[in-house]
Amino acid sequence: MSGMQIACLAPCGTLLFKYVKIILKSFHSMHDRLWLFLATLGYLASAGWGLYALGSKRPASNFWTFLLIGTAFALHTVFLEQRGAAIQHCPITNLFETLAFFSWSLVLTYLVVGPAYRMSILGAFTAPVVFLINFFALAAAAQIDLPGTMPHLGWQLELHATLALLGLGVLGVAALAGMTYLIQERQLKRHALTSWFYSLPNVGCLELVQQQVLVWGFIIFTAGAFLGFFIPHQNSEDWVKIVWSAVVWSLYAILVVVLGLGRLSHKKTALLSVAGYVFILLTFWGINSLSEAHVFPHEG
Amino acid sequence: MSANANIICGGLTFEGVPVELREKVAFRDAQLPAALVEMRESLGLREAVLVSTCNRVEYFGATEQPERAEAAWPDFLRRYHGVKEDFAPLSFQLRGTPCVEHLYSVASGLKSMVVGETEILGQLKDAYDAAKTHGQTGKWLNRLFQSSFAAAKSVRSRTGITRGSVSVGSVSIELAEKIFGDLKGCRVMVIGAGDTSERTARSLLGRGVPSILVANRTFERAATLAGELGGEAVRWEEWEERALEVDIMISSTSAPHYVLTREKLEALLKRRERRALFLIDLAVPRDFEPSINLLDDVFLYDIDDLQSIAHAHLRERQTEITRSMEILQPHVERYMEWAGRQTGKTGPDGVRTGWVAV
Repeated sequence: MSGMQIACLAPCGTLLFKYVKIILKSFHSMHDRLWLFLATLGYLASAGWGLYALGSKRPASNFWTFLLIGTAFALHTVFLEQRGAAIQHCPITNLFETLAFFSWSLVLTYLVVGPAYRMSILGAFTAPVVFLINFFALAAAAQIDLPGTMPHLGWQLELHATLALLGLGVLGVAALAGMTYLIQERQLKRHALTSWFYSLPNVGCLELVQQQVLVWGFIIFTAGAFLGFFIPHQNSEDWVKIVWSAVVWSLYAILVVVLGLGRLSHKKTALLSVAGYVFILLTFWGINSLSEAHVFPHEG
Repeated sequence: MSANANIICGGLTFEGVPVELREKVAFRDAQLPAALVEMRESLGLREAVLVSTCNRVEYFGATEQPERAEAAWPDFLRRYHGVKEDFAPLSFQLRGTPCVEHLYSVASGLKSMVVGETEILGQLKDAYDAAKTHGQTGKWLNRLFQSSFAAAKSVRSRTGITRGSVSVGSVSIELAEKIFGDLKGCRVMVIGAGDTSERTARSLLGRGVPSILVANRTFERAATLAGELGGEAVRWEEWEERALEVDIMISSTSAPHYVLTREKLEALLKRRERRALFLIDLAVPRDFEPSINLLDDVFLYDIDDLQSIAHAHLRERQTEITRSMEILQPHVERYMEWAGRQTGKTGPDGVRTGWVAV
């Protein structure tokens, strides 16, 4: 390389370095909620593309759904990481953070289950649910999201809440697999084969995923709920949350036991799994708003 | 090779010529090498490919004398096969762009009897390979056929032209795969030894079903069919008990009443482990009570259901033809531009369309 070429390249390099520094600085100063906002936009795009891909006749479309959700998940993770760093706790200290963590665990499960069972198509149903959860979280964030320094919560409390929310996320993917099963089963029963019929997986595979993920979700949720008994309480018992958790746990416990006994048809298993999760989604906000002991106190 | 060659094609297809005539002029694989040489000489072709399938007998060529080739084709068929019929009015003849469009459409399955079938692509490849191996092709046909295969691949991947099965047997298999996924672990029972159920059972065997039970009122017939299918014959009195083992039941008896009622199946399902059951009723009058389909985990299809799905698929494929033609168009244009560059000729509209006189 001649001296003249180096002389020309040097200012270009300096300029590039300057812009990289500006971009990094702007990322650093970006409010953490913006990451969640961008992730939510990503989930909206995934939902739109996923549903379009379902109706289209392009088998390669699932890859893009998976890629879009993966990108949105990365942004979602950045939000949780930044929030965690800011409050020095697992970011589940208020309802806004809890909803964001809840939806994150749902996507995490999808990203594990999708490739493992060749079920990337489930992303078309996961993305709209995650978008809605995040949308409600962001819409109400201004009122309820007041991040601040927290007192030491103890590892049992953090593990209890994290496992319970992860369990709910896994149960969510089981419900989505159940919903997909019901769609496919309905088409087969009615002899009405739409373009979705060709895009969705076979019912045998959907049964397997739905039931295995359901059992895993139940185990994780049980572990999280069980840990709650070992947490020392400063105030009175939070009966609203305890009763709600007991109802959810009992519902899934009955489902898992009946499933193990082989007493329930695949269709009824899927229906109950979906119904159980709809109950969770509809009551989660209200119960957590009413809950007293599950709101973390801020310092100062 | 002259720069002023014409791409031409012609022949007989199922669209205009009945099978009684087509079968008289079909070429067996063993005949192809010699027939190609003779055809090339008779038609005055520089390059030649001969395609002979059950639905079409066609030639593709590059020549400087298209009129001679067109006139000689019917005589060649008559002489080679030793028949008296005059094939001139029955043969189509195309030159230039329409010929290229024709080959691309044929390769994509757009001109097949069952639109979108993929077997034709393999047959074209075989015909081209045979011609190439025996030195009958050159730059014009090599490029033409290779680009037709790429065009067909593009149509198949970007449209629904091959989607959905179009026969009762293949629809049954498609449904079975949508219920069970892999059929390698599925057990099948055939009730009644009808032709359609036998064909369906054979198709299922081809998809990896490990074994088949055959039940018939006449045990000897069951044994014969079971022997042919490599399965097991079941006595009529035992079929209900053995039905507990199976995942797919195909029925085509001539019984005037239901062979399997809802009540009977409900009793069987209570004793059976919880898994899906696919019932294919090919009999008229029907063998399975229709309300069986209301039971959970049971999927019942009768002959009308299967036929209407097959017809719907065929209609859907036909609607994809226009889209497929749009996908083919740039491929055709690319070939014509390439051909134009080979000869340096320019078309009337200034586009370098080559040597093609249409």
